[in-house]
Amino acid sequence: MGGIKPPFFMNNKIPNFVKTNQFGLLILVIVFICIFSFSTDGFTSRFNIYALSRVVALDIMIGLAMMVVILTGGLNLSLGALGVSAAMFGGWCMESMGIPISITIILVLAFGSFLGWINGFVTVRTGVHSFIVTLATMSIYFGFMTLLTEAEAFRKLPEAFTDFGSLKLFNKYISPLLIISVLTCFVLYYIFKYTDIGRKLIAAGANPDAAELSGISVDRMFIYCHMLSGFLAALAGIMLTARIGAAIPSMAGHLGFDWLLPAFLAPVLGGTLLSGGKVTVFGTMLGAILVTLINNGLYLIDVGEFWVRFFLGIILLGAVLLDRAREYFTVKNSIVS
Amino acid sequence: MSALLKKDWFGLGLVLIFGSILISLFKPAFISPFNLYVLMLSVSLMLVVAMSQMIIIAIGQMNLSVGAIGGLVAISFTGLMEVYSMSILPAVLIGLLIGLACGFINGYITVKTGISAFIITLATLYIFKGMNLGITEAQPFYEIPEAVKFFGNAKIFGPIPYLVIIPIIITVLMWILMNRTSLGRYMLAYGNNVQSSELIGISSTKIVIYAHVISGLLAAIGGMLVVCRLQLGTPNIGDSWLLPSFAAPVIGGAILAGGKVDVIATAFGVILVSIISQALVIFKIDPFFVQIFLGFMILLAVFINRYREYREERRTKVFSDE
Amino acid sequence: MKKFIIFLTSIFALLASPVFAGGHGVTKVALVPGGPHPYFAAWEQAGLDAVEDFGLGKADYRVPAEWDLSQQNELIESLVGQGYNAVLVFPGDAVGTNKILGELDDAGIPTAALAGCVEQPTQAKFCFGTDTGHSAYLGTKELIKALGGKGKIAHFTGFLVDPNTTLRINAVEQAVSEAGGGVEIIQVIADIDAYEPADEKINAFMAAQGSEVDGIVTTAWVPAVVAAQALTNMGDKRIKMVGIDHDEVVLKAIKDGYVHGTMLQNPYGQGYIGSYVMDKVRQGCEFKADAPWKSTAQTDQFIDSGTVFVDISDVDTYVMAMRGISLEILETFDSTYLNCPS
Repeated sequence: MGGIKPPFFMNNKIPNFVKTNQFGLLILVIVFICIFSFSTDGFTSRFNIYALSRVVALDIMIGLAMMVVILTGGLNLSLGALGVSAAMFGGWCMESMGIPISITIILVLAFGSFLGWINGFVTVRTGVHSFIVTLATMSIYFGFMTLLTEAEAFRKLPEAFTDFGSLKLFNKYISPLLIISVLTCFVLYYIFKYTDIGRKLIAAGANPDAAELSGISVDRMFIYCHMLSGFLAALAGIMLTARIGAAIPSMAGHLGFDWLLPAFLAPVLGGTLLSGGKVTVFGTMLGAILVTLINNGLYLIDVGEFWVRFFLGIILLGAVLLDRAREYFTVKNSIVS
Repeated sequence: MSALLKKDWFGLGLVLIFGSILISLFKPAFISPFNLYVLMLSVSLMLVVAMSQMIIIAIGQMNLSVGAIGGLVAISFTGLMEVYSMSILPAVLIGLLIGLACGFINGYITVKTGISAFIITLATLYIFKGMNLGITEAQPFYEIPEAVKFFGNAKIFGPIPYLVIIPIIITVLMWILMNRTSLGRYMLAYGNNVQSSELIGISSTKIVIYAHVISGLLAAIGGMLVVCRLQLGTPNIGDSWLLPSFAAPVIGGAILAGGKVDVIATAFGVILVSIISQALVIFKIDPFFVQIFLGFMILLAVFINRYREYREERRTKVFSDE
Repeated sequence: MKKFIIFLTSIFALLASPVFAGGHGVTKVALVPGGPHPYFAAWEQAGLDAVEDFGLGKADYRVPAEWDLSQQNELIESLVGQGYNAVLVFPGDAVGTNKILGELDDAGIPTAALAGCVEQPTQAKFCFGTDTGHSAYLGTKELIKALGGKGKIAHFTGFLVDPNTTLRINAVEQAVSEAGGGVEIIQVIADIDAYEPADEKINAFMAAQGSEVDGIVTTAWVPAVVAAQALTNMGDKRIKMVGIDHDEVVLKAIKDGYVHGTMLQNPYGQGYIGSYVMDKVRQGCEFKADAPWKSTAQTDQFIDSGTVFVDISDVDTYVMAMRGISLEILETFDSTYLNCPS
């Protein structure tokens, strides 16, 4: 990962990590943590940190779900609709069918993967940009979900399931959901870095023609990416259900739109290229943390809620530009030397 | 005739004509003057929005902030008239200026940083919409001058509303721009292949900024037209633009990768979407189905486009084999 | 690092001290709507007035940046850090909001649902607001009365994913079925909580069914505004319409005779009395076991903040009427609902 050559004078003294996008993000995260801890009252309170850990957990998962599709050079607009549909399916399994939790989770993940497969299949077969395909499937998934559930929530879920969502670990600072997300990060990192299939996925995304020539079935790889995206979105849906304690049709907003912003921001801030072929699992994680921090901090600093969105936009723009500048200067340095 | 068949808009036009005849056979109310008036109104508004997105699609980018620009201009336009009791003309001009500035910001940042327009406009979407909410605190402006209300509500003659004038002019201008000017050709060339267009000496900076400025201006006009129509300046204006803004150009055969858009087909795409959403109301389709229906519509359009491309590819192959 | 920790501990100490010093401390209420929306604007003044009249520490109107359950949750979570110790919330979701209310309760912060209810079981102390289903029912009744007991009506309402929408659709149906066979619902148009789609659909409806329909009932803010505007534009006084809430467009259409009337809610009273009651609860007051709670489809700990039908005769004076209702509720609140430590 990283991909930018270290400048000559840094070669021996400073590890490569410093020049990566993740490092820039890490600095930003630390800076914002410092700013918020010193300038606001409640930022470091146990309640707030616990709440943050839960929000971050979900944003990471959503970000990863988007990241694996961005790898193909595509987008998955149906992410929220898919996640909610899967979550509602899970609610139905547990409440109406009485299926045990563990089996339900497996079914939900399979269902999410299936919906992802539809996205991937249609995209690959029509050759149309996945933006349009998932724009359509977003309406279709969400429409079927509201039609079948009649917009009724599933709220009599097993207690063992909902209790998990409000469990507090590490001296009541951390939600177990965050651990799931972080574990998922490690698994994905392992897959992309060390497995054959992971390398094939990246190769297919980076240069489809070359990958095709070297015997990789690009179509199949792209479908896998969409399935993985569906899988992760379904996982996010389950986590949100556990967190809220019910499966609710509106939990990701109308058409699942509420998930789209964190979904794009985390991977993009994390350094994933929209043109495809590059993933940064931990970058996505840091990106999600940064976005959540800023959102939370803006509420705490009390900029006036109506302006929160404005400042969020400004800070995001700033972060993207800053990252660009960092990249520019490292590249320039390496050229000069 | 065969030249006509190849046009993107030809098939769509046929679908529109037959579809309309079919609907009016079942529901004569469909061709009642009032319904035509309502149809023209919704087409007018969406036409401007679709054009605003189309020009960005032409250069192979996306503009997520179209609705946010429209909303910001809408509330600025009404706010200036209500709070500062400004007269209509300067308020319109300032509205256009804001749209221009928003578009310029989008284009300038995109081209100077080389960051994808998708990301930049995602951020500016938040900034513009955030300014909108910060200024209005979610409260609508109600004091709209009578002239503005009249423009949004009155008919020229028969069922034809005044509101169609500006969108028709814009469509014609856009057609001229894309088909008859060198700027339009450069934009398409840029959308087709960034590198080769740079080789023949077009300044990509200019092209991208022009496209975004035009997009911003059109979004601004769209926002003000909606104000005329709704007769109030609510901060929500523009919130629902994103989907239709992409749907119409794509149904009209635009390729998201850039380099290929068709103004007339996009206009037909807008009309098609409007007719369908109206037909759903006229036929009393279960509201739960409407969402699904729209999704399948887009997919269908995608398949048809793909099929036509496939046939064209085969035909050109046959020729080249000879 | 050590200095940093010392710094943090001192902050904590500073933060904690007033709470311990003052026993219950001063009440700091946060009034949290579901998102930016003109309906809730009256809460801001209501909170300020409550601070002045009842000597609260704070009663602030804090708006989530978007209509979005998780945004609202994040805002509420951040409020705890800012030292608010009572929260009045318009639930972002009738079920989904319960979890955060439970967590606030665990943290010793009392909460209540305002303007709309959460479903039981819940940790919210009570629900103070409008019974959305009942309001839709009453509005439809008024419409049927205006129609003389017979005619064809249409119902325009909000997002399908909002559980209130189903309640409203059912309530309208119930009112119609009670009217005997004379009244018929010819169309329900839902999912129109944004102005532009609402404008498109409602006008398409007018075009197709305008000559057939005799009455319109709207049970959400945006459809009410758009339908009132459409009738005004058409200059149609034949179709009777009953709207909801107090948007200026609706009120003006009533004055001009295009709209029959509207079902008003009482946002100011909700904010004002709600803040007062939260203060009482924090001072140790308990709700009486035999308090005369009302029951709704969602909860059986409901207090009606008042919903009245206004038409052309009282549209100018509705503010006073609402104030009257608020004062009435306030005067008898302690004796009716509360057991307070003396």
